[in-house]
Amino acid sequence: MAVPRARLLDLMRAQCELFATTFNPEGVRTGNKILRQRLRGPALASYYPRKVMTFRDFQDEFKPLELEIEEEGEVDRLEHIAALKARGKSAPKKKREANTSKKK
Amino acid sequence: MSMFRAKKLDLGCFTNIKIIRDHSKRKAYEAAEAERQALRYIVRNTTLPPRTRAIAQLQLTQMHCYTRPTQIRNRCILGGKGRGILGDFKMSRFNFRMQALAGNIPGVKKASW
Repeated sequence: MAVPRARLLDLMRAQCELFATTFNPEGVRTGNKILRQRLRGPALASYYPRKVMTFRDFQDEFKPLELEIEEEGEVDRLEHIAALKARGKSAPKKKREANTSKKK
Repeated sequence: MSMFRAKKLDLGCFTNIKIIRDHSKRKAYEAAEAERQALRYIVRNTTLPPRTRAIAQLQLTQMHCYTRPTQIRNRCILGGKGRGILGDFKMSRFNFRMQALAGNIPGVKKASW
C-alpha cells in the first residue's frame, strides 16, 4: 500500500507547477516567507490623522468671492502685541543677519 | 532625529514632541520598508553564500534606528499618552471612556446586564 517517495515527489512537483509555488521538497530555508509578507508601512504611517486644512487655506478659498473671515485668536494675539508695544514692553527686534554671521 | 521630521507640521491631532517623533519614525519606516525586507530576505535565505548573508546582516543593523518597526509605538491621538491605548480607537483608556460616555464614538455603549 505504501506509496514510493519518488511518486510522491512527482505529485508534489506537479502541484507546485499548477499552483505556481516553489518546489522545495527538502524544506530548505529560502526566506520566501519574507517575500510573502505584506508591506505594512502605509498602514502604520497613516495612524495619526493628517492636517487637512489650515485657517489660511480656508481664507484663501473664500477670497475669490470677496468674503473676508477673521480668525478670532489671531486678532486677539495681534491686539495683545499692539497693547504691549504701546507700553514699550514688547519683544526686542531681531538682530541683523550681518551681526550674527560673524559668530560661528 | 530632526532629519526625519517634516519641515512643516503635518499632523491634525493633538501634538507634542513624542507624537511628532513617533510620526517621523512611522514615515521613516514606510520609506525604508522595501530595503529592510530585501535585506531580511537575503539574511534568511540559506541558499546564498554565507558572506553575502553576513554583509546583509551588517547592513540591516547599520540602518538608522528610526527605520526600525520596533521603534513605533501606538500613542493616544487625544492626549499623546503611550500606555493603555485601545488600538481600535487610537485612544488611551481614559480618553476612550470620556469619548464613549459622551457618545462621540459610534457603535460603543456602556455595557449593562
